[in-house]
Amino acid sequence: MDKLPLGLVQDLYQVVPYKTGSWRTMMPVNLMQIPPCTHSCPIHNDIRGFLRVLAEKQDYEEAWHILTRTNPLPATCGRVCPHPCEGGCNRRDFDYPLAINCAERAVGDFGLEKHLEHRKLIAKRKERVAVVGSGPAGLSCAFHLAKRGFQVKIFEAKSEPGGMMRYGIPAYRLPKEVMNREIEAILRLGIELECNAKVGVNIPMDQLTQFYDAVFLGLGAQLGVPINVPGQDASNVYTGVDFLAAVNRGKPVEVGKDVVVIGGGNTAMDSARVAKRLGANVCVVYRRTRVEMPAITAEIDEALEERIMFRYHTNPVKILTEGGRVVGLWCVQMELKEPDASGRARPVPIPGSESVIPADTVIMATGQAVDYDGIELQKIDNQWISANDLQMTSLHKVFAGGDAVTGLETVSMAIGQGMRAAGAIEDFIEGHVESRMAPPPVIYSKDLNMYYYHKGKRFQKEALPVHLRLKGFSEIYPAFDPQEIAREAERCFSCGLCFNCGNCYMYCPDNAVKPSVAGSTYEFDADFCKGCGLCAKECPCHYIQMTLEK
Amino acid sequence: MMRALASEDLYRVEKKDLFASGHRACGGCGQALAARLVADAAGENTIACLATGCLEIFSTPYPDPTWRIPFVHSLFENVAAVASGVEAAYRILKKGPVNIIAMAGDGGTADIGLQSLSGMLERGHNALYVCYDNEAYMNTGVQRSSFTPLGARTTTTPTGNTTRKKNLPQIAADHGIPYVATATPDDFRDLQRKVKTALAVEGPKYLHILAPCPLGWGHPGELTIQMCRLAKDTGLFPIFEIIGGQVTNVRKIPVKLPVEEYLKVQARFRHLFPKSGPAPEVAEIQEIANLNIERFNL
Amino acid sequence: MLKQLEGSQAVAEVVAMCRPQVISAYPITPQTHIVEELAKLVGEGRLEAEYINVESEFSAASVVLGASAAGARAYTASTSQGLLLMTEVLYCIAGMRLPIVLTCANRAISAPLNIWNDHQDSMTVRDAGWIQLHAEDNQEAADLHMQAFKIAEQTSLPVMVCMDGFILTHAFEPVDLPEQKQVDDFLPPFNPPNALDPRAPKGIGLYADPRFYMETRYILHRALEKSKSTIQQVSAGFARDFGRDSGGLIKTYKLEGADLAIVTMGSVVGSVKDLIDRLEEEGKRVGLLQICSYRPFPRQEVYKALKEHTNIVVLEKSISLGRGGILGSDVRWSFPRAEKKGRLISSYVAGLGGRNISLEDLRAMVARVEKEPVELEFLGLRKEIIAERDL
Repeated sequence: MDKLPLGLVQDLYQVVPYKTGSWRTMMPVNLMQIPPCTHSCPIHNDIRGFLRVLAEKQDYEEAWHILTRTNPLPATCGRVCPHPCEGGCNRRDFDYPLAINCAERAVGDFGLEKHLEHRKLIAKRKERVAVVGSGPAGLSCAFHLAKRGFQVKIFEAKSEPGGMMRYGIPAYRLPKEVMNREIEAILRLGIELECNAKVGVNIPMDQLTQFYDAVFLGLGAQLGVPINVPGQDASNVYTGVDFLAAVNRGKPVEVGKDVVVIGGGNTAMDSARVAKRLGANVCVVYRRTRVEMPAITAEIDEALEERIMFRYHTNPVKILTEGGRVVGLWCVQMELKEPDASGRARPVPIPGSESVIPADTVIMATGQAVDYDGIELQKIDNQWISANDLQMTSLHKVFAGGDAVTGLETVSMAIGQGMRAAGAIEDFIEGHVESRMAPPPVIYSKDLNMYYYHKGKRFQKEALPVHLRLKGFSEIYPAFDPQEIAREAERCFSCGLCFNCGNCYMYCPDNAVKPSVAGSTYEFDADFCKGCGLCAKECPCHYIQMTLEK
Repeated sequence: MMRALASEDLYRVEKKDLFASGHRACGGCGQALAARLVADAAGENTIACLATGCLEIFSTPYPDPTWRIPFVHSLFENVAAVASGVEAAYRILKKGPVNIIAMAGDGGTADIGLQSLSGMLERGHNALYVCYDNEAYMNTGVQRSSFTPLGARTTTTPTGNTTRKKNLPQIAADHGIPYVATATPDDFRDLQRKVKTALAVEGPKYLHILAPCPLGWGHPGELTIQMCRLAKDTGLFPIFEIIGGQVTNVRKIPVKLPVEEYLKVQARFRHLFPKSGPAPEVAEIQEIANLNIERFNL
Repeated sequence: MLKQLEGSQAVAEVVAMCRPQVISAYPITPQTHIVEELAKLVGEGRLEAEYINVESEFSAASVVLGASAAGARAYTASTSQGLLLMTEVLYCIAGMRLPIVLTCANRAISAPLNIWNDHQDSMTVRDAGWIQLHAEDNQEAADLHMQAFKIAEQTSLPVMVCMDGFILTHAFEPVDLPEQKQVDDFLPPFNPPNALDPRAPKGIGLYADPRFYMETRYILHRALEKSKSTIQQVSAGFARDFGRDSGGLIKTYKLEGADLAIVTMGSVVGSVKDLIDRLEEEGKRVGLLQICSYRPFPRQEVYKALKEHTNIVVLEKSISLGRGGILGSDVRWSFPRAEKKGRLISSYVAGLGGRNISLEDLRAMVARVEKEPVELEFLGLRKEIIAERDL
């Protein structure tokens, strides 16, 4: 009997499978979604992406290239960014957010160590862009434009590039070497840099707008704004900005035995900790309490560790001087009343609570402003540059970003603004009408299937002991172990991106999930998928979702 | 006697699609998933003996059956005997070694097929018997079987089943067979390890797999995997092995859940939760779970 | 070599020489002596086979089903209640075209419980798709098993060899047992094309929806029809190889020119032949048509043998309750409807539950049907013990 008996026996290698796909009303799809880390990152770094290559293959080089697609300063940000990404991390609802910032630093350091070079996306093109200011905003804008082939020239008023990163941030937080090498790598994309060229003073704005196809203003907020109290003209009274700039320039600064820092922002913390390293007893005076302090929490913690005194509810009334030099600060105690316009509790003096804090130096880290010398454009509150969401200012073909637009903000915020401005400048030069798609939705922990994740310890960076920190300006966080960082990266939920767990593949009762041809993820076989939704339900990271069939 | 299996072989997840696409199971069918996991773990050198039932109906229609390993199906109540015959034939014809797996649903195993199962176990055939337990006669339209749990509504227990589930793993073990295990398809690594372990043991083996049925249980197909986990984590479906008569490798419940969490998801238990508060059966079902937890130290 | 043997033992010896590879059975009187003997042969190592002691006839049939599907020559034996318990599997075996051989030691069916011979058991499964061969005596019972394996494997149809319980199974008669080599020459090894094999995976026993089912049954029916020629060929081949007639579709005895034709099957044939000889001495011409293959039913052969006969009586050990003689119906149906010719066909039911069929009973039957045709008559019925209220 060569032929098989009809209806009784079937050769299983000859079966033409019956297509069950026609039963379906829903179909699984892979939906691009934004993880909350990227969503919270001012630069929109592909955090999930770089962590993934660390976790899977410890490929620091690829991680660096992923990170520098958006952020040209990972080693810098890995040190100074207050990492809002970690605040967004969905792991916070599960155990502890990922130590993204540390991973970024490890990747950035790897790039420096291996002298990795940025890749140009587009060969040279003829359009030219002038970037005013070489702080993080300017560098970022120049970087992204140069990658896209534009001819970029940066005009820097000071003698060296870096802006507040160089003149504001102390070396124990950001070693100059790190920043210098990251800036050099950016400039190697073919960006021209002219220092000591203050636009508006040495070079008129008109000249830039005339000769360049677009101009980006990354002016920063480099002017220290003192509070108005008697005695502020004494010789050893500084603004925070000036004090930090002087120390960062390497100028010898004599601060004496007692230093009082007025203010609660990052500049105040930096000033206090620098003064401490110069050998002084330091006291920070702030009108409200720690809760209201605008400084990064970690900075306050570290300042406290370094035995810096904090006097809360304390407001300077006048600076006591003798022979033109400060001897003390006359303060009054405050109490907090109903919130003011800023939403913070309003401090009101308590009568008769005055006291004197002895001081050899007073540093007023009480505010910063933009230096508009020679630049005329529309402002907000007569203080910050008015720019729209494409970073366009009131001047034709002039864009702006960074602290001068946002007010005092972080390095990463400035980088993000520079990046967005670069995109807007490209569109502007190419004459594109605005065509941005609505951003994809963000994934929150409620969307994830937590069954598949395991609780674990978060990577803890270890600071130098305080007595060693205070000996000088060496960096307080020594380098991290790349293996440990890779292990930390394994904790990433990979929100919204397949990480090859294989659940969909293993759980599909119809074998309708197949490895994709590329092999990196999975595809759905429409011939057999019945649309039960099991794959979507068991996808840990919400990469698979069910959609109604047309 | 147990053939030595390297642990990487034992714990390797197998996906060969020897139970292929194109079967007529409902979306999210736990039994279809479990059958593929079993077939893939057993590998190409396997003969499947099928009892009439859901699995057989949806996987063997002429001319396009879903299996890619040879299979034989004849009747509802005789699969263990058929497997015995296949095994005897392979022994005498010296065509082996081959994995012989009898497969049936809970009705074909615990009710109408219990006699032939007992025969196969008692006679010591070198075959694995896999029971896909979906806790009722699903193929014929959700009628009660002796595996239907207490309280569950079926078309023949319209006010809820009044008896407790038959304890077949224990009955199987009491035949003195070398290997008995329970498994669920959500933990496919464990399930496939048990199939491989069983097949490495000479003699009759019994594997009891919980196979959630979206149609009969009344849960959305997408929750099939979750139903397995809830069944385990409430203590209603203990996971263990009985090797040489000794209960071993009991799966500890990480966080014990009240049975309500399992019951409330399923339409077959919905009548136990009227607006006025849970019916007394809920406490009794919790008692069953507690007994399991105590007995197996879950 | 001629041996004085119990029928069961003769059958067991021959079955063993057919080299079945898997034997499975469940004990039931009067089949037990056959399977006990086979178990002994396996136990002593004289037969290389798997002997599977099962927990029911249902499983016995299922075991041989599985074994046959896996490519083994498989054998089982049963009777009566056991055969009825197997019924579901028997249909399945035929539907799956598995060439299994089964010995039915024909016995009555409960209730009331009765362990003695009639043909009700095998008659009950006559529509299952099995070939059913009826043995006249122990020699034929033994011979038919050799033929049964050959027919089964050539036609992919299961064969049931029916031998009367006790009357044959437990009777000692001289039987000419073949040599093993003769059997091996007659019956080639079993090598089915569609066995379960992981190297060439096939699915056996599928689910056929209304698009396919009817065709499978049509093909099965045609296969049974076609098997008639195989049965004849194998019987002829057997006669050639062993020098004696057995099997085939029908046999006749002094039928040509007889005034009365008796149609029957099984061991009663011997008594009928005896009667015919005696009546011949008394000057009466009575002939015999013996049905050897009850299924497939040799309609044409029956017609050809009986077309010149006008007076026919069908004698059988079974009844379709509420209808009448089963074999009787089959014989009546063998004549084309149009051909009337005043042919008389009487139907007799006899020997139910082991009731002896005496020569006197048979004489009475002949005397009766010589006078007038009988619709249905119970031979040897003890009317005197039946009260009016029983009816």
